[in-house]
Amino acid sequence: MNELAAELPWLWAGLAAYALATFTSIGGVAIQGPGGTLIHAQRSERIVLALLIAGVLLLGVAIAQRWIRIGHGPWISLFELLMSQLWSLGLVYTISYWKLPRFRPSAVVVLPVLWVLGTWLLTLEPKASHFPATYYNEWKWIHVALGKIYLALLLIGVGLSGVMILRRAERVRSWFSAMPSDDVIDRLAWRMMMLALVFDSLMLIAGAVWAQDAWGRYWQWDALETSAFGTWLALGVGIHLRLTYRIPAWLSGVMIISIFALAFATYFGMPYVSPAAHKGMV
Amino acid sequence: MTFLRSLASLRLTLVGMLMLAVGAGLTYDNRLDLPVWVLVVPLAVLSVNLSAAILTNERINRQFGLLTFHVGLLGIVVLTAIGRLAYFDAHTELAEGQEFTPDVLLEIKKGPFHSGRLDQVHFVQGPYTVEYAAGMQRGLTHSQVAIAAPEGGLMTKIVGDDRPLVLEGYRFYTTFNKGFSVILTWKPLSGPPITGRVNLPSYPLYDYKQDNTWTPQDGPPIKFWLQLETGLREDAAWTLDARNSRGVLVVTQKDQRVELNPGDTAEIEGGSLRYERLSSWMGYKVYYDPTLRWLFFVAILAVVGLAMHYWRVMGSRLWPSVLQESRDDDKSQERGSN
Repeated sequence: MNELAAELPWLWAGLAAYALATFTSIGGVAIQGPGGTLIHAQRSERIVLALLIAGVLLLGVAIAQRWIRIGHGPWISLFELLMSQLWSLGLVYTISYWKLPRFRPSAVVVLPVLWVLGTWLLTLEPKASHFPATYYNEWKWIHVALGKIYLALLLIGVGLSGVMILRRAERVRSWFSAMPSDDVIDRLAWRMMMLALVFDSLMLIAGAVWAQDAWGRYWQWDALETSAFGTWLALGVGIHLRLTYRIPAWLSGVMIISIFALAFATYFGMPYVSPAAHKGMV
Repeated sequence: MTFLRSLASLRLTLVGMLMLAVGAGLTYDNRLDLPVWVLVVPLAVLSVNLSAAILTNERINRQFGLLTFHVGLLGIVVLTAIGRLAYFDAHTELAEGQEFTPDVLLEIKKGPFHSGRLDQVHFVQGPYTVEYAAGMQRGLTHSQVAIAAPEGGLMTKIVGDDRPLVLEGYRFYTTFNKGFSVILTWKPLSGPPITGRVNLPSYPLYDYKQDNTWTPQDGPPIKFWLQLETGLREDAAWTLDARNSRGVLVVTQKDQRVELNPGDTAEIEGGSLRYERLSSWMGYKVYYDPTLRWLFFVAILAVVGLAMHYWRVMGSRLWPSVLQESRDDDKSQERGSN
């Protein structure tokens, strides 16, 4: 029990920080200042930024504690994957939140997604996992790091997409009045998708090199590979669809969210479809 | 030219991509009963479409980054096809002290144009260790092999798991399939003695079934099983190492049951059997694809092209306006808080 306690308090504190950031961001856009000014929103944004930074730091400590406890990084079990994704998604989103103030209201879409992961994580057992021999390969680091950036870029795109869709609803339209037009948001969202395609491609290449060294084949259409290729292809289809047809903003948003859903299923759904995926042969 | 332009249509690209998505979905889990055409047809459609686009679409062929990316994609498809035509895939089991020769390969699969220098591949299998964590979870494998040293003679190399032995482009991967072997000498009542090696089933996968039969030339079939002491533990970490293992050979013939330690001899019907020593064998997966390195470089080149293109697009159009708006916003926030 004592062993488990090492990372859990930090994890709970990190998730609490994310939860507070979620509520503060919603309050910040939903509760307008006198005369409709955004002063209240601007103050809340600073609080959200501080809470996000705190959440990332606390989750970083939780990961380090677990690493020390079980002797390896968060690579194997779903508990570890969720914990490390919450950290990396939070980190990349915090940077974008800090650097792009005009797009901060999109946090009301992004942070609840993080909280879906957080709630899921709380239902899992933090038991120690076995570190397979094939995970000693150095390409794992590159593959995983690229994958984290890729998913985080998709998440930023989801936030922007959510704004484009939510703006259709009369009740919440004012939440996003400080944000640029749908046209600008749409272009930025697809730039994120393009960047995601670059990182996704690099992730697949690094994964193929790892697989060649670890399993003696660079590609074999296993559950994870097929799903990852499907997501890469979906990104390509989305970008080409946008080049070919004039897509309304809301539909553009639906496309981006669908691509994210595919990527999400690849990361967190495939371990249920194929427990052997990326775990090496016994 | 009109025909080429129609072949370069973005709508055809979308159709090809959707066909490829369906093909990939059908190929899920590497189904062996599926015809290869489910992937070849969409890839062929996309290759024709892409080639035509590279030739006719100025948005592609006048932008260096985008051109590099699309040519790279085409290169990946071509190299993958060449790889499938020239590949080689097989398995082998090598006992300690045994030299690799092509005739020990099993389950050979190869492309029609495979022409590697397999006959130039030489190495000798040495001992190995395999680490196990509690719960019989396999860890690192360290397999010693002796290969020719550049300055002459032999040098030892350790391979295992994610460190294949690469000789003449052939990659030898250790596998979970490994076990023990016994060296036996059969001395018939008349004639010269015969020494042979018999591999036992994979260990510890079949630790309950370490038996086999050896039929020496002109001799009777000899059934035996091996009583092993390897230090195997279910509840704690242990290391599989034939050098630290003991094996008692139990020979059964008709009503006769004999237990032999290494060096022991037993008289059985038709002659005598000597149990020389306990040894081990390692199973390897052998893989060859002459395009691997080229695939890597072309794929990286393609992504670098794509990154260059996006860097230019983002730098010139969107980011300045977005960042400018952000800076303006920061200033207004500062004014608001003052």
